[in-house]
Amino acid sequence: MTENLVDEAAPAPVKEPARPRRTSGEALARRRRLTSVTRPWLLLAPSLAVLAALLLWPLIQVGKLSFQEYAVKFGGGVGTWVGFDNYSGLLEQSDFWKTVLPNTVLFTFACVALTLGVGTLVALLLNRLGPAWKVICSTSIMAAWAMPAITGTYVWVWLFAAQDGLFPKALDAVGLVDAETANFFTDRLSFYLIATLNVVHHSFPFVAITVLAGLVTIPKELYEAAMLDGANAWQRFWRVTVPTIKPVFTVVTILSTIWDFKVFTQIYAMPGGNGTQPEMANLGVFSYIQAFAKQDYGTGAAAAVMLTLVLIVITIIYIRTLFKEGEDL
Amino acid sequence: MRRSTLASRVGLPVAVAALLLFTLLPVYWMITTALDPQASLRGADVLPTGWTLDNFSTVLDQGNFGRFLLNSAIVGVATIVVSGLLALFAAVAVARFKFKFRTSVLIMVLIVQMVPLEALVIPLFIQMRDYELLNSLLGLSIVYIALSLPFAIWTLRGFVLTVPKEVEEAAYIDGCSWWRMFRSVLLPLVAPGLVATSVFAFITAWNEFVFAYTFMKDSEKYSAAVGIYQFFGEHGTDWGAVMSASTLITIPVLIFFIIVQRRLASGLAAGAVKG
Repeated sequence: MTENLVDEAAPAPVKEPARPRRTSGEALARRRRLTSVTRPWLLLAPSLAVLAALLLWPLIQVGKLSFQEYAVKFGGGVGTWVGFDNYSGLLEQSDFWKTVLPNTVLFTFACVALTLGVGTLVALLLNRLGPAWKVICSTSIMAAWAMPAITGTYVWVWLFAAQDGLFPKALDAVGLVDAETANFFTDRLSFYLIATLNVVHHSFPFVAITVLAGLVTIPKELYEAAMLDGANAWQRFWRVTVPTIKPVFTVVTILSTIWDFKVFTQIYAMPGGNGTQPEMANLGVFSYIQAFAKQDYGTGAAAAVMLTLVLIVITIIYIRTLFKEGEDL
Repeated sequence: MRRSTLASRVGLPVAVAALLLFTLLPVYWMITTALDPQASLRGADVLPTGWTLDNFSTVLDQGNFGRFLLNSAIVGVATIVVSGLLALFAAVAVARFKFKFRTSVLIMVLIVQMVPLEALVIPLFIQMRDYELLNSLLGLSIVYIALSLPFAIWTLRGFVLTVPKEVEEAAYIDGCSWWRMFRSVLLPLVAPGLVATSVFAFITAWNEFVFAYTFMKDSEKYSAAVGIYQFFGEHGTDWGAVMSASTLITIPVLIFFIIVQRRLASGLAAGAVKG
């Protein structure tokens, strides 16, 4: 401070107009430091407010709702605390153990396994193609990816539609089924086979593109060395490709698991998927039907909370994986 | 690979053919059925029984799909304008500033992105009912802004990181304020990223079903996804009409997707691989 005073006392040289402003220069520096602390938060504030109000707050609300009996009275809803009744009621339902849980788990497992398998094979294929065919194939993959879930579902329903659909007719022609009587949507297994086909068709492009991005980073020398050692294609894939880009596989596996666990539209929009065939529901659809069709918001919320908890556990594993890779956030 | 074995000479074309068949069959079948005057008689034929545009006029006139598509477009545009702006600010904050809890903010954004919509739809339905925002395009847009934000922040963060810090410093030396630097230097440089992110946010809003279906009970306010769900409920066996409605909903997304495919794919891949 004293230094500043002395400076100010000294006559300012004419050619340095900045000099007399040095006191305010110090204040400016302090203000700069302050803005460098507040500015990121000012920039973040709108986004954080939106996320807090529309994602975080509802999550707290659904947790609260899962411990309540919620009734709609005129002038708004009224919640009565019931403790763990919704959860115990849910776990006592035989439907929950016999259909909802197996549907969810087996469907997720099948979708993830197939998505990864198909996606990886397609990535390996794309990696071997010349430029022209690569563009053609990746564009067609984009077409599969771009299909909205709802219209994609109707297209698959139409392909398998009783009597008139492509596959019943084709299978009828070779004598496997009778197109007049066969209905693929009333049997749980075939219902879910179609749903699996739909989901895999929609989600393998992401895996293919991501794995391809990993494949191109693998040094060619590794394969040459493996070939000199006499490794065949199968061995090269498992001994060179998989270990080298293991983090990529881990990430796509976890992300696919998260996405396939919460599939809703592709089940709900199928014939009977909206609750008219209760045995077709997975956890998400079950929660929705309980809440909105049966007006039992408490049980619906309890099922939703269980789904959320599973996903949060998987998400935490995902984040830990990212950190283990040494990712600098 | 220099070796060209018999397996690779035969296997590669077979694999390409299988891939093209699997990926394009649904799109092909959808479009050809939409143009088919008697879709239910087609069976397993490769070509439709004829060619007509009647199905499209059916869904646009009787099905009111013009209105539904417009609703979806309005909601989509509102979503991208607001979420693009908010996400850009947030992305600059996490990419350019070092501050306490930065990592926590990033992780929180990552976690909320994984929350299932089925868990959000129950409380948000009650919330929106209390604020009388059901059956309102505004209420739906607000929800979609929140849904598209986490991904937009992550993607844009990647784009902001690619802009060299020296460019910003040069702007400061030239006497720019932070805000001026943001508008005249950073914004033009991340514009391509903003476009890709916006396209993705638009597609999210355009495709979304659960919220639109739960919130919109007035048929004038249906989004396209809800419109086709209700239309299917009433005309389930009129496959020509259902597929032409599907085509109308799918084509814009398809075009957008193919236009931005390179940028989007590499961005997504980078987002997944590098976090």
